[in-house]
Amino acid sequence: MSKLSFRGGIHPLKEKHEGKEATKSKPIRPYVPEEVCIPVDMHLGAPSIPCVKKGDLVKLGQVVAEPAGPRGIPVHASVSGEVTAVISKQQLYGKPSTCILIRNDKQDTWVDCHILGDVETAPADKIIGAIRDAGICGMGGACFPTHAKMVLPEGKTVDTILLNGSECETFITADHRLMLEEPQRVVNGLRAAMRAMGVQKGVIAIEENKMDAYEAIKKAAAGREGISTALLKTKYPQGGEKQLIKAVTGREVPSGGLPMDAHVVVLNVATAAAITDAVTEGKPSIARITTVTGIVNEPSNLLVRIGTSVSELITACGGTSEEPGKLFFGGSMTGLALPDDSVSVTKANNCLVVVNKKDAALQETTECIRCSRCIAACPIMLNPQRLNILCEAGNLGQAKKENVMDCILCHSCHYVCPARINFPFKEAKEKIAARRI
Amino acid sequence: MNTTAILSAVAVLGGLGVLFGLVLTFADKAFSVPVDERVARVREAVAGANCGACGYAGCDPYAAAVVSGEASITACTPGGQKTFNALAEIMGKNACDVAPGVARLLCQGENGVAKPRYDYIGPPSCHAATQMAGGPTACAWGCVGLGDCVKACQFDAMKIVNGIVSIDENKCTSCGLCVPACPRSLIKLLPRAAKVTVRCLNAANAKDAMAACSKACIACKRCEKACEFDAIHVIGNCAVIDPEKCTLCGECVKVCPTKCITHQA
Repeated sequence: MSKLSFRGGIHPLKEKHEGKEATKSKPIRPYVPEEVCIPVDMHLGAPSIPCVKKGDLVKLGQVVAEPAGPRGIPVHASVSGEVTAVISKQQLYGKPSTCILIRNDKQDTWVDCHILGDVETAPADKIIGAIRDAGICGMGGACFPTHAKMVLPEGKTVDTILLNGSECETFITADHRLMLEEPQRVVNGLRAAMRAMGVQKGVIAIEENKMDAYEAIKKAAAGREGISTALLKTKYPQGGEKQLIKAVTGREVPSGGLPMDAHVVVLNVATAAAITDAVTEGKPSIARITTVTGIVNEPSNLLVRIGTSVSELITACGGTSEEPGKLFFGGSMTGLALPDDSVSVTKANNCLVVVNKKDAALQETTECIRCSRCIAACPIMLNPQRLNILCEAGNLGQAKKENVMDCILCHSCHYVCPARINFPFKEAKEKIAARRI
Repeated sequence: MNTTAILSAVAVLGGLGVLFGLVLTFADKAFSVPVDERVARVREAVAGANCGACGYAGCDPYAAAVVSGEASITACTPGGQKTFNALAEIMGKNACDVAPGVARLLCQGENGVAKPRYDYIGPPSCHAATQMAGGPTACAWGCVGLGDCVKACQFDAMKIVNGIVSIDENKCTSCGLCVPACPRSLIKLLPRAAKVTVRCLNAANAKDAMAACSKACIACKRCEKACEFDAIHVIGNCAVIDPEKCTLCGECVKVCPTKCITHQA
């Protein structure tokens, strides 16, 4: 089968196998913390409303925060035990989040789960409701509520569901291990989503640096109705929604549009696995696979309870071999730096990277030499060097005309830039959105 | 040599020149657009910095807008009272006295005074830094000191000193370009005469404010009691001075336990 791809893009850390070598052969091991601190605003949209108070005893999987509005999702207890506090704590976002602290009694007593049945026989009209009740949101990093993605607005049609197993970001191996160890859960989740949406075609797309996972998924998908696999070239940002759709279906998402405008819905493989749990076992989303790597002594793929603190993850991986300079969630291209190690793992955090002081240092920026490498690297065919000049000059109106709002913030331009320019597109997009220029 | 050929060429080209000259003279008279000579005089009188403080793209569009009556004659703050008077004279209006303003930073969180939350390693932009988990300062209201306002200032009046912005009041023209540049809205245009200012916006409770910065307003209300003119009030955990009522007596400055109220020289 031919390998699919898109125009532009880069090969970050190619000589180091995308930084994945340390953890790609490590089996997933579960980690259960002493205490969890669960933020109620993990997903995109209005924060959920806490419905427990200090002193309450909660069971594993019990709803601790109710969804706010039809697009919201509930938050569940990821351990059983006593609620020790409901506090406001600074997490990764701009403002402090409301967090629910639960001390683990190590009993793991499950709340009563409502099982829908096998993915092929469960009533199709109940699946989306089950996904919502299980609190599932995009586990690839964006954390968009999955049920909201699956309910199409009037007049939109979808003919394909794409499962994103490309994992093009550096360092992350969480999806790789999931596909390798539990391919059946991934395939079942896709079938459930296809039945729920009434879609006939499902494609699981995987990059060629994960051939073992590709073979495992191909074997698991053999004989399943409507499911095919696609092998992608190893290139960043292959896992970007728009790049993936272009590579697999040849369709292009229009500027300012959503994947549904190209008649596609894209789900992450981890999200699909969570859908399987919600349908066949009635279990909510309370844990996720997180790769912990970098300068930790035992780089691992951990099955982490939501709300575990980062310091516990590092301890679970044998501590660090030298003084850490920076911690970040996600890969090195689009990852988010952490303010300290007390931050909680949320449903979106597929990777924690600890780097030393030397690697954390900011590289010195010099002037643009108009080499145009950024233009060649841009996967959405923008002109980063010109947009940089416009944004620096504060001419955001013109930058918007030249489509800065279509930037997917993949930072490929920054990676290839010999002058190490920090392209300020995130700030520009935020300012344009806030001022409605 | 063929003299006729030379003469006829000269005659034809000369004739064409005269003809075109007549056409152009006619066109100049018939299609002339009347220009208000006041635009040029207004353009001459404004500061000429092309800073955009008036809200127009530059001095030329502003001059046109003034003459058309669309823009206020007091919008050119860099020019100050002198420009207002000149524009009033050109436009035949009464010059009003506009109290000169100045930009002031409502924060004293220098290095060593305000506590950091984490080491920020990233693009040198306040906007970018404040997006990172609530910003690198322990105080969520304090100056980040990465100079977004310094970049916005067209008059070289701002610089970063000891971790926060310092404003040179002699150079500041109160154009207001720095005000929207600050992601924490810490810069305010105040009348130059209002020399007593509460230089803090921290709205947290006293304990959290003290933990974040030693010069934070802790909402103790001592200033409120000390003020004889009802000019200072604690609103939302932070003191605010009404410049209209303030007499610059300095009583509040004396009683403030954290020295967050200052009296500028």
